[in-house]
Order: sequence, then structure tokens, then C-alpha cells
Amino acid sequence: MSANRELSMSSYVGIGVGLMVIVGVEVVLTYQHLATRTLLFSLLSLACLEAFVAVMYLMHVKYERPILFWTIFPATLFVLILLCYLWPDAFRMASMRLLQ
Amino acid sequence: MHNAQLNRKGGTVNVIQSAMHSVGQHEVLMETSPYGIEKKKLGMWVFIVSDACTFGAFLFAYGYMRVGNPVWGTPFDFASVLNGVVMTAVLLSSSLTMLAAVRASQAGAKLSTKKWLGVTMLLGTIFAALHLKEWFSLIGEGWRLFHNPTGGAAQFGATFFSVTGLHLTHVVSGVIALAFITRGYKQGRYDASHVETAGLYWHFVDLVWMFVFPLMYLMNAH
Repeated sequence: MSANRELSMSSYVGIGVGLMVIVGVEVVLTYQHLATRTLLFSLLSLACLEAFVAVMYLMHVKYERPILFWTIFPATLFVLILLCYLWPDAFRMASMRLLQ
Repeated sequence: MHNAQLNRKGGTVNVIQSAMHSVGQHEVLMETSPYGIEKKKLGMWVFIVSDACTFGAFLFAYGYMRVGNPVWGTPFDFASVLNGVVMTAVLLSSSLTMLAAVRASQAGAKLSTKKWLGVTMLLGTIFAALHLKEWFSLIGEGWRLFHNPTGGAAQFGATFFSVTGLHLTHVVSGVIALAFITRGYKQGRYDASHVETAGLYWHFVDLVWMFVFPLMYLMNAH
């Protein structure tokens, strides 16, 4: 890790406050009575944004060699994105009705 | 770490930043990691990747059932959501105190390192206590692994208790690991790299909660 390029502790506190603001936005969205699909997409997007900030700054990936990022993250994201194949079937199940 | 010169086919090859490790009477020439990090930290990254896939599978399975089920239970009132926000703030604060511990250990400030590791463990324990409070509240309302007291889909209990239970296990394991790291650091058996590797794990636990809280709590709030 290149400690000399790292942020100051007050900057990290600022990042923490920023992450809490995103959590606040998530709570506000929850009470907007959005459709399940819209709420899920919004919450997941905000969670991904939080995770990206946490990985880059709190876990210091921004300050490591790029090869670490390129070795680990594309493969992991690929696995997680593959799991998204489940969603269309979940939405199909939600709209299923019993046959008369 | 030494610079070494190797004679190969009459020429001289400079091997820069190669590591010479003495093993008994023999010397083993090893290349440095292309990642520029210690092996224990790389090992932790590999663990984190596998754990991320485990949590990913759990959360996607939950999401599949949650979205596909029109009579899903929504047991969380605003007080529970507020409790979840407090839990998030506690865990996020513990990440910052962990960062402070890592910085202090890298600066060689032993007392400060122990202090920040102690605060991190305390915040982790508070998080676990708040989590268990939420669990007991749900159990008191009649929610079980395979029982929904409101008569809707029974899978809520199974998914909620398994996903949050897995996360809680990680938090408790993290607190125990930090206790060992603190003890070892105090005795001089562990150094700053051990604190940094433990910190990596702790930030990952925080990162997972960033998905667990909106998906398990906010998606099930009424």
C-alpha cells in the first residue's frame, strides 16, 4: 500500500458521513411506496455505490497496484452478474395466477 | 530483501527486488508478489472473494423469493428500521476506528493501536447486541425459521434468520479475531501487517451489511 498517497483521517470520516447519507436516502425511498421491482433496483444500485466506495477507499484498493483490482473484481462481478439471470423468473412468478 | 546477480549463458542478469530467503543452509531465490502485497493480505482477498460469492448466493436466493412472492411478510415498523440505521452507523463507525488502528500500527504507535482496536471490538459487540435485540423482538412476535405469524409466505423467517445470522457470525468471528490480534500485537507476536489484514476483513463485514440492511430490512418494512 502506498501510505503516502492515502487520504487523511478527516477525509475518511467524510466518506463515512457520505455513506450514512446514502443510507438515509435508502430509508426515504423505502417510504415512497414504490413498486417492489423499482424499490429493489433503487436499493441495489445505492448499495453497489456504497460498496464501490468502501472497496476503493476503506479497503484501500485505490492505493494498491491495479493488477489486484483487475485480478479480483471482474471475476467476482461476473459471478454476481450471472446470478441476475434469476430476476426475470422471480418477476414471472410474481405475476402468476392460479388456473381456474 | 536483496538485489542479486545471476550469471546465465555468459551474460549477467540483474534480478531486481528479488527475495532471498534463508532456509537452513540453503538460499531460495523467490520473486516478489506481482500484487505488491504480503501473502497473508492476498490470502485475505481470496477469502473475501469467496465469501462475497457466498453472501451473493444467499442474497440472490432471498431476492428471488422476495420478489416472486406476492404475500411476503413485512414485519419491520419504523422503530425497527431506525434500529437498523443505528446498527449501520455503529458498524460504519467501527470501520473508521479500524482504519485508525491500522494507521496507528503503521506509525508504530502501540498504545493508540490497542485503543482503536478496543473501540472497534466494542462497536462490533454493540452491533451484535442490537442485532440480537431485533432477533428476539421478531421471535417474540412469533416469527420462526419456517413460520409466519401473519399467515403469509413462510420463507421470510428462513431467509432473514439465515442471511442475518451468517452476517452476525462474521461480526462475532471478527471481534474474536481482533481480540487475538490485539493480544498478539501487545505481546509483539503480530505486527502492523496483521492489523491491516484483520482490518480488511472488518471492512468486508461492513460492506456486506450495506447490502443486507436495504435488502433484508428496508425491503420488508411497512
